Parts: sequence; C-alpha cells; structure tokens
Amino acid sequence: MKIIINNKKYTAKVGETIFQVCMRSGIKIPTLCGAKYFHEGLCRVCVVESGGRLITSCNTKVAKDMEIVTESEKISKARRINLELLWADHAGKCATCKKNRMCNLQKLAEEYKIENFHFVPRKGEMTNSEEQKLLRDNWSRVVVENENPCISRNSEFCVECRRCVSVCPEHKFGFNHRAGDVVVGTAYEKVLDCSFCGKCVEVCPVASLTDQNDYAKIIEDLDDLKRFSVAVVDLGTPEKIKEQLKNITPEQNLEKIFLELGFEKIINLGEKEQNREDEIIENIKTDYARKEKIDPKNIRTFFVSSKIYKKAKKSEYLDYVLSEREVARLVRDKGKMVAGKIKR
Amino acid sequence: MRNPKIITEHWGKIDPLKIEDYLNVGGYAALKKFIAKMDPQKALDEVKISGLSGKGGAGFLTGAKWEIVAKQKGEKYFICNLDESEPGTYKDRLIAENNPQILLEGIILAALTVGAKKSYIYLNGNFEKAREILERAIEQAKENKFLGSKILGSKYLLEIEIFSGAGAYICGEETALINSIEGNRGEPKIRPPYPTEAGLFGKPTVVNNAETIANVPWIIQNGGGRYSECATKLFVLGGAVKKRGVAEAPIGTTMKKAIEELGGGMQRGKDFWFAQVGGAAGRLYLEKELDAPITGSGAILVVDKTANLYDLLLSWTGFFRRESCGKCVPCREGTFRLNEIVERLADGEISDRDKEAMLDILWTLENTTFCPLGKFAATAVRDAVDKLGVVSTNYE
Repeated sequence: MKIIINNKKYTAKVGETIFQVCMRSGIKIPTLCGAKYFHEGLCRVCVVESGGRLITSCNTKVAKDMEIVTESEKISKARRINLELLWADHAGKCATCKKNRMCNLQKLAEEYKIENFHFVPRKGEMTNSEEQKLLRDNWSRVVVENENPCISRNSEFCVECRRCVSVCPEHKFGFNHRAGDVVVGTAYEKVLDCSFCGKCVEVCPVASLTDQNDYAKIIEDLDDLKRFSVAVVDLGTPEKIKEQLKNITPEQNLEKIFLELGFEKIINLGEKEQNREDEIIENIKTDYARKEKIDPKNIRTFFVSSKIYKKAKKSEYLDYVLSEREVARLVRDKGKMVAGKIKR
Repeated sequence: MRNPKIITEHWGKIDPLKIEDYLNVGGYAALKKFIAKMDPQKALDEVKISGLSGKGGAGFLTGAKWEIVAKQKGEKYFICNLDESEPGTYKDRLIAENNPQILLEGIILAALTVGAKKSYIYLNGNFEKAREILERAIEQAKENKFLGSKILGSKYLLEIEIFSGAGAYICGEETALINSIEGNRGEPKIRPPYPTEAGLFGKPTVVNNAETIANVPWIIQNGGGRYSECATKLFVLGGAVKKRGVAEAPIGTTMKKAIEELGGGMQRGKDFWFAQVGGAAGRLYLEKELDAPITGSGAILVVDKTANLYDLLLSWTGFFRRESCGKCVPCREGTFRLNEIVERLADGEISDRDKEAMLDILWTLENTTFCPLGKFAATAVRDAVDKLGVVSTNYE
C-alpha cells in the first residue's frame, strides 16, 4: 500500500509500523523504549503527526493513504518535554557515568538540546537513616545491586523503558510499585539469579544495567609493567566492539587498540576454536607460560566476549571477562591517557 | 410523562440480602420475558433502539459494542466494571449495595445477549460490603435457577465470578482491567485490538459499567423505544449543596438544574464558585456555564468560595501522582512533577520556571500519553489555569 510521509510517497507492507517504514526509508525517528524487535510505546519520544494528532510511530500500524509528518513544531515540543522529564533525573551525572558517551538518552538530550532544567533530580541511593526523610521529600526508591557475579544493577539511571523486561527470556524483570515510584527490578527485590545471557545489558539504553567488573583493578593490571596481559577475543566479538567504538574513536584497527590499552598478546578465536575457549585460556598460564618463560603469576588472562555468564566462572586460569561494552569503556577512559603501559 | 426511576426505584425499600424482596417487586420479570419470548437478536435490537450508552464516562453506545461481540463465534466474556474509584463518585457501589439483584439480572441478560458463558464482576478491592452482598446475591440467584447450567430450564447457561481488584484507579480502564483479571500488572494495553475483538484471554469481551448494566432489565421489560424517551442517569452530588448523595434524573439534566433541584441549592451562607463535573478528572464550570447538560460519569462537586484552591489542586494532582500506572513517560513523570510544582504553590505564588514547566507538562499530558489517564490528570488543572487563573501570580 502507499502511504505519504513528509509529502513523499512510500510503499508499505500490511502490518508494518510507521517506525519500520521510516527506518527502512532512511527517515530518522528518535526512540528510547524501542529496541529491534519490540516496541511498547512508553517513552513517547517517537511521536509523529498524522491528521493533526500526535501518534507514536513505533506501535501504530500503517493504514492505506495515511499521511504522516515526522518533523514539526508540535513534534519537537513533545519530544523536548518528554525527554526533559526523563532527563530531570539524570542531570549532572554524566561525567562519572559508566556509559558516558555511550548512552542513548545522553545522545537524544544533546540532539534535542535539553538545557533548561525545570526540575530537581530525585533519584539517588539512600541509606536507611536518610531514607525516611528523603522519601518524604519525594525522593524515589533506587535499587542498587552488585551481589550477582555478572550484572551490575543501579536503577538510579533507569528510564523505565522496559527493554530489559521485554527482552529477558527468563522474565526476571518487571515493574515494581507504580506511578512515579516505579522501579524496574526483580520479583520481591531478590538478588538477580539467572543464566546471565546478558541480553538485558545489551539493550539497556542507559547505565542502569551494566557489566559487573572490578574496573580499577583491570586498569591497574593493564597499566602495570610487570604484568603480561593476554586477551582472548571470542568469535564475533570484534564486530561488536567496532559497533560500540563508533561513538568513541575513529580508530578501527582492533589490534592497535588492544595494544594501546596495554595488552601484550591477542589471541583471536576462529571458527575452529569456537566453544573451545576454556582449553585455550588454560593453555596460557601453563604451556604458553612455560614456553615463553614467563611466571604464570605475572600473567593476566582476559576473555573478551559477550558471553557475560563467563564472569561467574573465573578461575586461576581466567582473571577477567570483558564484554564489548567494557572494552569501549576502557578505550573511552584510556583515550585521555598515554597509549600503552604507564611507566611507574 | 414523569420520568420513571429505573435504577433507584426500590432502593431502601427492599433488603439487598433477600432475593424474595426483589422478586416481590417484579424482579427477574425481564429475564423470564427474555427466556420465554425473546432471543439474543431481539434483545440486542431493543438495546440498540434504546440508545443506551456507557455510563462510566466515555458514553460509547452499548448496543454497538454488544453487536460486535455478538456477531463473533466461540468463547466470549462479559465483564461488569465495578472498579469505580473516581474520587467523589460512588453510584455503582450504591447500586451493588442497595439492589444487587438488578445488577445481576442485567449481567445475565447482557451476557446471554452477547453469547458469553462466563461473566466477571470486576470489583474494587476496597468495596468489602458490596462484595459480601454480591456474593450472597449470586448464591441466591443460583438457587432460583437464574444462574448456572440451565437458566430457568432453558438451554442458556452462565457463570458469574466476582474478581476483586486491588483498588487501583487505572484498573477501571477496560484494557487495564482485563490485564488485572489475567493476572498481569494493571496497566493499559495498546488498542487496537479492542477488547471487543481480543479482550480477556484473547477472546471477544464486553466491558460495561455497572450503571449501564443496571438499565438493561428495564429496557428488556419495557422496550427500547420507551427507554429512549425517558432514559435516566445517576448523578452524585457533593460539596456545598444541601442534599448530597446519589440522585436519579433524566439524561441531559443541566448542571444548574442538578444543583438547584437534586441538590436543593447551595448550603446556607455559601456562594457558588465553580462546579467540577466527573470526579478528579472532571472539568471545572463557572456560574455562567451551568446551563450545559452534565456529561461523563455524573459526579458533581460544587465548590463554594470558602474553599482553598491550593488544597484542591494538591488533592487532584496528588491523586494522579499516586494513581498513574507508571507505564509511559509523560504520565509517570508528568503527574509527579505537576504535584511537585503544586506543592510549591502553597504561598500563592509561582515562579516563572515553574509556570513554564507546568504549562509544558499539561501540554504533554494532553497530547502524548499512552492512555486517557494522562489527559484526565491534566483536565482539572488546565481549567484551573484557564478559568481560575492559577498560574498568574496571586491566583486568589
């Protein structure tokens, strides 16, 4: 069927959403709650105009001869206000955020120039003694959980987009409480216990769900001249790292990037080595160390992979597991420093 | 012709706990007539002729809604919406408490007409008394063969179940109500598909307000044509009128008439300031606008000049700040921030920054929310801004 977008004719299939047609045709529509396969229509940022009314493009299906406008004063106003309402809780936290420069909300806030703050942030971790008073002062509950081995949760940054709720194959997340008190969390606020497939961390637009790690120690080990750091890069991961690095550095040579981060040796797993990583990692501190005459105590092995459940399976042979996002974060932070090891 | 009392006729005269009382005043005659002389199509035609429309607020034509579901084959559901949680509205609860059998008779007639074999009464979790009365009423109706497998010896069957919600305002919205019965979080679903196509458990479902349903026995008994001539509506009067409470009056009653005749006029020594029609989500009307008929759910709050507007604003915005489901951004964050701004109005002054933010929030609530709750949250405050001059400094 034919539909009209911004005064131009486009062909659309029955059952497609406006958002899908626009994406396919190269018309940009901002969205926060939607990820690739599902759209909930919650963030109200993807609004477009049809017949003078604002509708969400992500969950409105196309109809014959529909006329759609994707940019107008009204649309910008709606996007600006709704983003500002979300941004109100984030104001000022970017500089120290794990996801700085890798955050969907930050990008949108920049694009729509959210600069005048009408509101006071109301999210932050509270200790028990402060809690009563702050809750009375309209502060909301924040869940911070670092007890599980793989995923670090901090709802201070959460924008309640529900991507994690929709994507989780084990239905671990849900909305707790209601209205302005909504907190995305597990049932009865128990410690997250799942197979740690990492899909939720992948889709989280902000720093609410991030990879669990000992960031300071990783930096220390990478920088230490005495340490010999080996990166075992999983199949398929280089592409994912490049995708993550898009916003951070124009550098595309991964080998060079890894060396600059302070790694000494990079092992890329190929088709043949697929799912044999345990064996290869074990080899490093044993056979390889013997061959190269390096004290295994001074070797640090990193498994670079999106299999974040491996974080729960660290051993004497495997020191760290880095996801593509953590590599990007290292590059982001190292960008300001001297390349390679720091002499102490 | 004097308008008959369709719903409130027997209130206070019959014992809600005894089905015999209802039978003695001609109860279940409509059901007997339906079983003996009518079929679902005939009953549907009568309801369509009657022009009966939803009494919960939206005013959708009941006959049209039923027809969509009646046409479809297979499993269907009929739901009576008794979640009534709009502040200042309690007409549905009083129907259940004063004459539960008229409601049951209406549900049975409606369910048989649309072809549903299972019906739910979605009851607000706070209505303890109504639940006890309804449970008893259902039992008695079963004993008298008005419910169950062979209704009055016919081929019809129906089961009614009371489902107690947890008292959330949003669960009065039909898709949220359906979510709640299904065991999901009480929040609205995207429409289409409408409940009439894919409702409870994915099956065609009719959701009707309790007051709407309570009209059905009278329509079946006396004909849709007569109903269309003398249709009534329950109005809930509150605030500075002499007689507060629920009153039945013809549809189209103006606000002026309702205040003066049903409410007995203003209380002594109180001057009319404005009336809010439709609960916390209702619009505000000044004295010069009172000639318009009452629309929506039928609640009228009469506010006199001694009232404190700040308290009212706080109560409206506080209500929606609590009752928003938290699903979409403008409503979740907007209702919260609106309440926050209103709290700062205590001294009667508003800063430029707050004024700008308030107008922005009202706009986004009106234009971009997922379900109508966002619009409702903005209505009263918007009118307070436009008609009572809230954001101009020194609004009093």
